[in-house]
Amino acid sequence: MLDSTTGRPERAAALRCEGITKAFQGVHAVNGASFDVPEGQITALIGPNGAGKTTVVNILSGAMRCDSGRAFIGTTEITNRPSHTIARLGLLRTFQLSRELGGLTVLENMLVAPADQAGESFVNLLLRPGLIERQEREHAERALALLDTYGLYDHRDTRARELSGGQKKLLEIARAVMASPTILLLDEPMAGVNPALIELIGGYIVDLKEHGVTVLMIEHNLNVVEKICDYVIVLAEGRTLATGRLSELRENTDVVKAYLGEVIDAGASH
Amino acid sequence: MVYYIFTLVFFCFDYFILAMGLNIQYGEAGILNFAYIGFVAIGAYFTGVFSLPSSAGTGQHYILGLGLPFPVNLLLGGLAAMFFALIVALITLRRLRTDYLAIVLISLSLVLYDFCNNFVSLFNGADGLYNVPEPFAKAFGLTVNSFIPFFACVTAVISLLMWFVMSRVMRAPVGRTFRAIRDDEVVAAALGKNVFLMRLKAMLIGSFYAGVGGGLLIQFGGSFNPTAWLPGETFVVFAVLIVGGAGNNIGMFVGALLVETLLIHLPAFLPEIPGHPGLIEYFDNAVVGIVLMLMLWFRPQGVVPERLRRAASFGVRSGLGMLPQAPIEPAALDRP
Amino acid sequence: MSLFWLSVGFGFVTASVLAVAAVGLSLQFGITNYVNFAYGDFMALGGFFAYVLNSEVLHLNIWIALVLGSLLMGVFAVIVNRLILGPFARRFTKPHYVLIVTFGLSLIMLNAEYSIWGAQVRFFRMPIAPALHIGPLLLTRNQLIVIAIAIALMLGVHTLLKATRLGKSMRAMSDNTTLAMTSGIDTKRITTITWFLSGTLAGVAGTVLGIGEGNLTPASGELFLFVIFAAVILGGVGSIYGAMGGALLIGLATEISAAFINPAYKLDIAFVLLILTLLIRPSGLIARPGTT
Repeated sequence: MLDSTTGRPERAAALRCEGITKAFQGVHAVNGASFDVPEGQITALIGPNGAGKTTVVNILSGAMRCDSGRAFIGTTEITNRPSHTIARLGLLRTFQLSRELGGLTVLENMLVAPADQAGESFVNLLLRPGLIERQEREHAERALALLDTYGLYDHRDTRARELSGGQKKLLEIARAVMASPTILLLDEPMAGVNPALIELIGGYIVDLKEHGVTVLMIEHNLNVVEKICDYVIVLAEGRTLATGRLSELRENTDVVKAYLGEVIDAGASH
Repeated sequence: MVYYIFTLVFFCFDYFILAMGLNIQYGEAGILNFAYIGFVAIGAYFTGVFSLPSSAGTGQHYILGLGLPFPVNLLLGGLAAMFFALIVALITLRRLRTDYLAIVLISLSLVLYDFCNNFVSLFNGADGLYNVPEPFAKAFGLTVNSFIPFFACVTAVISLLMWFVMSRVMRAPVGRTFRAIRDDEVVAAALGKNVFLMRLKAMLIGSFYAGVGGGLLIQFGGSFNPTAWLPGETFVVFAVLIVGGAGNNIGMFVGALLVETLLIHLPAFLPEIPGHPGLIEYFDNAVVGIVLMLMLWFRPQGVVPERLRRAASFGVRSGLGMLPQAPIEPAALDRP
Repeated sequence: MSLFWLSVGFGFVTASVLAVAAVGLSLQFGITNYVNFAYGDFMALGGFFAYVLNSEVLHLNIWIALVLGSLLMGVFAVIVNRLILGPFARRFTKPHYVLIVTFGLSLIMLNAEYSIWGAQVRFFRMPIAPALHIGPLLLTRNQLIVIAIAIALMLGVHTLLKATRLGKSMRAMSDNTTLAMTSGIDTKRITTITWFLSGTLAGVAGTVLGIGEGNLTPASGELFLFVIFAAVILGGVGSIYGAMGGALLIGLATEISAAFINPAYKLDIAFVLLILTLLIRPSGLIARPGTT
C-alpha cells in the first residue's frame, strides 16, 4: 500500500497540507507542516506535547486561520475557509476536550449534525411542513440506530451535560458520524478513557474506515496506533518530521534519534 | 376598577410578546441583545407614524403619516424593526464577541434614545408622538373606557397567535440549531452550521416580535415618549425572560405575569408617598434588579424551565427492533 | 477660530474625565475579563459621595470631598465584588450571566440613587473660579485642576504598573490568570485591589465629571458610559495605555465636533467612532498582547 522507498502513500490524498505556519505572539506553534492524508485509511498524527498537532487540526477544520501555507480536500483548496464551509465539504472533527451541546438532549445533539436540513429555513417551515416532518423522522431513526451502536441509546433523552466523561467522548464521535463525513479528524479520541472503552472506540474507528471514511487522529497511545492505524505522521516543533508506517519509522534512525526512540520503545515493550 | 384590571391584562400579554422575541434571540440563539428596547421603540414609532394622518397642521413633526388602518400599521411597524435589525446585525453580528456585542448594543440603545430626544424634525424630540388614533375606536364607537378592555383582548388574541407561530419555530430544526449555537458556537460551526446566518435569522424574527410589541404599546397609550425607551427598559424584558425561564414560551407568559404585571404595574397604582415624587417607581425598578439576581443565583433555569425534547416527539416508532440495521451511511467519496 | 480653541480646551477637560474613567474600567476588565455595565453608576455614586461630603454633611472643601468620596467608592466597589459580582463570575463560566448581573446592578444603583437623592440636578459647593488664558486655550482654574488630577493619576497608574511588584502581578494576571495563579501570585488579593482602584477611579471620574459639567444627577454616569466604551475600544480593550490614548482622541473629537455641528449630537460622534473602530480594527488602535 505504501511506496517503500519514499514512504509516501500510493493512494490519492484525501487531505493535504502544504507548508502551514501559525504563530501565537511570535511563537511558532506550526512551522511549515506538510503532509498528505491517504484516502480511506486511518492516519495517526503523533508528536510530543507542543508539536502543534491540535493547532494543525484547528487550521484544517477552519477553527483557526493560518499565517501561511495551503490546505486541500482532494483538489479543493480550503485554506482559511470558514468552519461551516469545510464541514459541508465533508470534513468533520471532534475536540480534545469533549464539547457536548449541554442544554440539548443526547438525541438532539445527534439531530443537529445533518447538513442542509429543510427545517432550518423559515420558508420551508411555512410552506413544506410535511417535508420537515419526514426528514426529522428519518434523521431521528438514523440517530437512534447510531446511538444504539455507540451504546448511548438508553441515554437518548438525557441532557448531554449530564453524561459521564466517557459517554461524552462517544457522543462526540457519534455526532460527527451523524453528519456523514468523508474525512474525520479525531483529536485524541481515547484520551482519559478506560482501557475497555479504548478497545471499543478503536473498533468504531476501524468500522468507519470500512465504510470508506478517511480518518486522521491525534493519538499518544502507540499501542493503539500500531493496532489500528495504517499510516503515521510525526510532527515535532511544528514541522513534519517523518511519515510512513509505524514499523518503518522505527527503523528510521533519524526519527528515533531525534525524538521517537524512547516513545516507540516504550510503546512496543508494553 | 375594570380599567385597572384590563390595563394589567394588556401589559401582561404585550410583555409576553416582547419576552418571546427576546427569548428567540437570547434564550435560544444566545445573542445578548442589550438594545432590545431600541427595536421595540422603532416598532412603536413606525406603527404610530403609519397610522397618524399627515403631519401638516398637527403641530408635530414626523415622517410618513399615511393614516393606515390598524393591523396594517402594526405589521409595518414590526417589519420596520426587522429592517433595522438587519442593518444592526450586518454590522455587528458577524465579527464581535459576546461582550463586545453587548457593549455596542447597549451603546446603540443609549444613542437611539439620545438621537430620538434631540432630532425634532424626525422624532418630534422629547415631546414624542401623541394623539395616535385608537384602532377601531370610530368603527365600533368605543369610548375611552370601553377601548381599554377591547384593546386588551385584541392584544391577547395577537399574542396567542404569535405564541402559536413561535412554538412552531422553536420546535422545528431551526430552533434546535439556535440552541446548538447558544450552547457552543464552535461546535455548531464544526458541524456545518453557518452561525452568522442562523443568528441573523434569530435576530430578525425576534425584532419583529419587538416591533409588534412596541406597536401595540403605542396603540394602547396613544403616545410615544422617548423616556419610555431608556436602556433600563431592556432589563425589564430580561427580567421577564429569566424569571419565567429562558428557552420556554410558557415561561415567558409566567414571567410577564410575575414581573411586568405584579412587580412593575401593580405598584404603579399605589398612592405616591407625599414629598417623594417617583419614589415608589424607583424603588420598584431596584426591586426588579434584585429579583433578577436572586433568581439567577437560586433558580437560573427560571420558574418554568426549558422543556426536554424527548425522542418520542420526533415521530419515530418506539422499540429498537424497528430501526434499520445499517447505522453508518456510506460516505460519498466523490463529494467535492 | 476662538470657538475652535475654546472647544479644544473643553476637549482636554472631557478627555481628562474620560481617561480616568477609561483606565478604571480597563484595569478591572483586564483582571476579571468581563465588562462592568454598572460602571457609569459607580461614577455617579462616587460623585454623590463627594456631593454629600461637600454640601450636606461636614461641608468639606470640594477637593478634599473628591478624595474621600472616591476612596469610599473604592471600598464600595470591593464590597460589590465580594458580595455579588465575584460569586456570580465564579459560578457561571459563560460570560453572559455576569454581564446581565452588572446590567441589573446598574439598574439597582441608578434607582437607589434616585430614591435617595431624587431626580433634581445637584451642584457642588465650590468657589467660582476666574478663567485663565493658556496659550490659545481658555480654561477656568477648576478645569485646570481637573486636567492636573487626570495627568497625576495617569502617571500614578503608569508607575504602579511598571515599577512596583503589585503592578507586575496585575499585568501578569491580566495576561493569563491561570499562569499567574500557578506562579504564586495571590490572585484574590490582586482582584480586590483592582476593584478598589477601579472604584476609586470611577469615583474621581464621576466627581470631576460633575465639576466639569457643572452639575450632577443619578443619570450622569449612565449616558457617559458609552463614551467610555468608545475610548476603551478605540484604544484596545484591556490596554491601559490604549485607554488613555482613546480617551484623548474621543474627548477632543466630541468637543471639537460640537463646535461645528449641533452640540446635542456630540455623544453620537463618539458612537460613530466606536462603530468605525469595531469595523476597521476590532482589536483597537493598540492591540493588547494575549488577545487574538
